Amino acid sequence: MPDLNLRNISKRYGRDSWALHPIDLTARDGEFLVLLGPSGCGKSTTIRIIAGLVEPTSGTVHVGDREITDLPPRKRRLSMVFQNYAVWPHMTVYDNVAFPLRLQKRPKTEIDRMVREMTELVAIEHLLTRRPDQLSGGQRQRVALARALAVEPEVFLMDEPLSNLDAKLRGQMRTELRAIHQRTGATTVFVTHDQAEAMSLADRIVVMHEGRIIQVGTPEEIYSRSASRFVAAFIGSPPANFFVVQVRGGKLVHNAFTVELPASWQSAAAGQEGRELELAVRPEDLLPTHESDAHLSRAISVVEPQGSHQIVAFMLGKEMVKAIAPASPRLAPGAVVHLRFRLEHLMLFDSRTGERVEP
Amino acid sequence: MKPESLRMLRRLARTTTLYIVVTGLAVIILTPVFLLVSLSFMSDLEAYNEWPMPLMPAAGIAFRVEATEAGYVLSVRKVDGSFQSLIEGTDAEAMAAFARRKTNCGLTAGELRQAMSEAPREWSPQREWLANYRTFFQVSPGAYAALWRSVYVALVTIGLSLTIGGLAGYAFARYRFVGRKGLKLGVLFVRMFPGVSIAIPMVIILGSIGLYDRPLGLALVYAVGQIGLTVWITASIFLGIPRELEEAAHVFGASAVGAFWHVTLPLALPGLAASAMYAFIASWNETIQALVLTQFNPTFPVVVYQALLDSRSMVHLAAAGSVVMALPAVIFTFLIRRYMVSMWGGVNV
Repeated sequence: MPDLNLRNISKRYGRDSWALHPIDLTARDGEFLVLLGPSGCGKSTTIRIIAGLVEPTSGTVHVGDREITDLPPRKRRLSMVFQNYAVWPHMTVYDNVAFPLRLQKRPKTEIDRMVREMTELVAIEHLLTRRPDQLSGGQRQRVALARALAVEPEVFLMDEPLSNLDAKLRGQMRTELRAIHQRTGATTVFVTHDQAEAMSLADRIVVMHEGRIIQVGTPEEIYSRSASRFVAAFIGSPPANFFVVQVRGGKLVHNAFTVELPASWQSAAAGQEGRELELAVRPEDLLPTHESDAHLSRAISVVEPQGSHQIVAFMLGKEMVKAIAPASPRLAPGAVVHLRFRLEHLMLFDSRTGERVEP
Repeated sequence: MKPESLRMLRRLARTTTLYIVVTGLAVIILTPVFLLVSLSFMSDLEAYNEWPMPLMPAAGIAFRVEATEAGYVLSVRKVDGSFQSLIEGTDAEAMAAFARRKTNCGLTAGELRQAMSEAPREWSPQREWLANYRTFFQVSPGAYAALWRSVYVALVTIGLSLTIGGLAGYAFARYRFVGRKGLKLGVLFVRMFPGVSIAIPMVIILGSIGLYDRPLGLALVYAVGQIGLTVWITASIFLGIPRELEEAAHVFGASAVGAFWHVTLPLALPGLAASAMYAFIASWNETIQALVLTQFNPTFPVVVYQALLDSRSMVHLAAAGSVVMALPAVIFTFLIRRYMVSMWGGVNV
């Protein structure tokens, strides 16, 4: 299958309301690309431009060598799963899946075979004669999925397809989507605001914010080497803790603690001497330890048991800090916890621009 | 009293009240309809010679014929059982014709002659239930033609208001354009004018384009008034159809027209059916403009109206005409009623 290429794509409404600043983006052959960001970040605009439902202000969209920028949606050879399923309520499940194939004027027997094959793939083959209003949300989403698969598109678009499902079903569908993608190998662009969904589905994640692409990378890269304070704060649950620190003689100084930078950071730290930076530490990088080893000791204010671990929250000045502790020993609010930073994972950001400071 | 029985009693009181109210409303609504239909089947005698007027026509008729010095007297039984003399004479032909007209029965001259020969005699001939309807069309010139003209006008009105109003409604629902709100209010502007007050300019306009006294001209006038209402009904229906459903059709291979035809239109059917019904009823019932805008080619309501006003015609005949006029509206509403309730989840009228 061909790559999907966006070059210099932008969208402006009115005189100067930019939904999307010019971006370049490539979804490689067979790749599962996730556009991730909060609402209003431009991710939906991007996928709708790819689908041809929104006309870009500038730029081109290519599938392989074929330019599709000015083609109507029906000629783009792609398919889409919508947030509200968009299954046609006046058609049966069978007709919903068959309708696009009929529009392509495929032979009847082939349509029938395709409908049965695809509905089986998403496990709704027993619902073929039902109308959508007789289906649950999860079943409707499966119909939408079967419909999108049946047309055998060059590119698969999914606009928040799981956001209307309840948490348990969402997890299950996530796994199934991943399995279906592995089977079909279709180039997929998936839009979501749910970072956990993005992490578990994506080959690569595109983090977007205010109409711009902030970072493109594998889930691991995005997580452990966030390009900006925004990305570090957006990815991960519970979110990362941020501390405003000052660089002083190879050390990071906060008014509650001081930590020695690892050797790999020393040369970078020399250039930042005296500056204010923001230190991001993920909750799992704040480790409970002995009093003698601790960077920080505080009284626990809230404990959230999770079964496999527990989330410990305490106040540092006016900020709430969260750390992840093993399931045992059970910690109780009021008890003092001693914590140590795992410094090999630390991330530093310019406190003014929010940009990443490289070691 | 135990709480459960108290609750049961309260529930009973509630259901009873509900039924009383519903029944009361039904009676209020159905009484005039009943009176009209009942009157349309009554004979001249029942409608004019009984006091108090009977609520329903009698199921059968009884005649009595007796010999007198002058010949024979034909009497008919009244509601209270007594006989009232109807006509006296010897000419069976004329007497039977008079009796037929007065009593809505199929009395023939031969039958009467037979009875005269066996006089005195009582017998019950068959009642002719549709006599008033037949008579109405006989005594109202051009009633049949007017009926078909009315059907034609109604269908053209529906066609015009649904295509133009429906498409405009779609545009109002889907597109943002300058003057959208003003225009949407503007389409209701034409409805502000009472039919009578706008009738004279309509005569002038229709006359100048050669459509005065033509059913098409009348349909145009009705459609203009109806479009505004259709726009409002269909716009709200189209607004209720998620845009995503159309976008999905576009992505999956449908052209703009194809998506509208295969997805939007079937989903909008309830609203279109409601609009069609309003258009039909409005056009079918309209009398005043039709009275002004036609001369030799009236529509059916005009014929009924004239029958009502005409001192020569009688109230039971006019009732028959009124029932004929009411029937198509009832049938039409009945036929499209299943499209008017929401057919599919999520899209309601």
